[in-house]
Amino acid sequence: MIPKTPRGFRDVLPTEAAWRLSIKGAINERFKLWGYLPVETPAVELLGVLEMDGELSNTPFRFFDSDNNLLVLRPDMTLPVARMTALRLANQEGPFRLCYAQHVFTENDSTYGQDRQVMQAGIEFIGRHGAVADAEVLCLLFEALEATGLEDFTVAIGTVGVLNALVNEASDDEAWKSEVFAAFHGSDLVAVDRLASDNRAKPIYAQTISKLARIRGGEEAFDACRELVAPLGCEDGLDDLQRAYDLVTENTETGKLMVDFSIISSFDYYTGMVFRAFAPGVPAALASGGRYDGTLESFGRKEPAAGFAIVIEQVMQALEAQGVRPPHVGPEQEVSDKDASAMFAKAKELRNAGKRVVLGGEK
Amino acid sequence: MAERNLKIAVPKGSLFKDTVRLLTEAGLDTTGLENPGRHLIISNPGVDFIIVRPTDAPVFTTYGGADCGICGKDTLVEANLDVLEMVDLKYGYCRFVVAEPEANAGKAEESYERLGVLRVATKYPRITRSYYESKGVQVDIIKMHGNIELGPIVGMADRIVDITATGTTLRENHLRVVSEVLGSTARFIANPASIRTDQRVIELAAKLEELTRDAEVTMS
Repeated sequence: MIPKTPRGFRDVLPTEAAWRLSIKGAINERFKLWGYLPVETPAVELLGVLEMDGELSNTPFRFFDSDNNLLVLRPDMTLPVARMTALRLANQEGPFRLCYAQHVFTENDSTYGQDRQVMQAGIEFIGRHGAVADAEVLCLLFEALEATGLEDFTVAIGTVGVLNALVNEASDDEAWKSEVFAAFHGSDLVAVDRLASDNRAKPIYAQTISKLARIRGGEEAFDACRELVAPLGCEDGLDDLQRAYDLVTENTETGKLMVDFSIISSFDYYTGMVFRAFAPGVPAALASGGRYDGTLESFGRKEPAAGFAIVIEQVMQALEAQGVRPPHVGPEQEVSDKDASAMFAKAKELRNAGKRVVLGGEK
Repeated sequence: MAERNLKIAVPKGSLFKDTVRLLTEAGLDTTGLENPGRHLIISNPGVDFIIVRPTDAPVFTTYGGADCGICGKDTLVEANLDVLEMVDLKYGYCRFVVAEPEANAGKAEESYERLGVLRVATKYPRITRSYYESKGVQVDIIKMHGNIELGPIVGMADRIVDITATGTTLRENHLRVVSEVLGSTARFIANPASIRTDQRVIELAAKLEELTRDAEVTMS
């Protein structure tokens, strides 16, 4: 038998492991400076509990324990942290600023060649809403990515508020509505266009939806969007998003922020701002997040919340694409002495001076 | 740092000619692309054309082998990968249909009545499954790689789901269309990171949209 690991799971050898540690450390340092406190949650959760906020897909690792409980390996960190806040912090007043760096588990088809375990470092800011809270989350994302050494990255933001308002005004046909959301989630702009000229919806709203999906750019994108949706009274969340946008651009030096309404294509639980970070040379998002004001309530505690998760593996790929190489990990020197006591003493002295030292000896 | 070439996945086969024509109209330097011979990549100033099997275009685009590309809607549905579907290019029209041998009329219904499940042979399991799921019909899918029409002829399957442009092949094999599943045309697709970090992809999408906005749907 070949001593291999399951598909999509892999061992991490010292050079990479050390690099991962230093990247996680740099990110965590920024989290700490913003007042975020680390938490840990279990690797497994009760499936029924996580699904209090809606059905989970892509969670292949489900099993029964000896008590016959159906358990699941956590597919993300937002739900466990929301559950924890509702349960364990029930007697404490918010807001809560929490951060984590843990593995999450997802499924991909066996031929997709993707990891099934990735390391996410992220934050959840629970108990505040509005533009200032959104800007805090975004600024921290910028600083955390910058802290890893990444210079060239783009964060694309949008809000589900405008889309929800337009869809609800456009039609009462539930099937049409869910097709529109499915098209956004599937990044299928051609289907969005087709649904826009569908006779199940009021044309003026529906056609605005298809234009919305193509709004992309800097500050001027807000004007384009407002011009489009203001006459229809569907500006939900737009002012907040623009204020957050301004606060972020004023306070960040590295990286680029852009508006992109086609970004509304990830998890279902987002209720306001949504965003994803990208970098050249990495085909998928480095980080994603947004506002999810309804999730905590599903676990029995009504609180607004927003957060993001950075995928460490993707950040490393982006760093490599930008020419960063893993730091050297070998020891700085070797100490040898025939007299073992003297060798230990000498090495200790060097270590106390901050040197990384290995002991010599025979094989 | 000099800007690297834009990478475009160009599908071989029936979509190839129209694709080259459209990319040329969009102002890209397509020198040598029309007759690539055995070349897998045609590199011109500013752009690399990566010539791929149509079903692989979404794969190249998802994994960053290409920034963007062109492929049929059918391959997109079948691949189910994370790309942005930007523009309907209107050419390469074909349709997915459910068909059965003319001689077997009524047999499939009878078999479904008795067994509660339909056996369907196809090259496109995902499209087939989602079609029958939307109809609430239980199916056993038999995945094949070619000559699907043989499935019901030899009694392996009740029906087939296959692609047809004109219906000629179906008629030649004495198959009749039972129902329509999906119409498909060529699409311009983009990698989710490229569309947000590379202005050239956005510009190309806009240009292609403009060129094809009023085009008629055609077969390739």
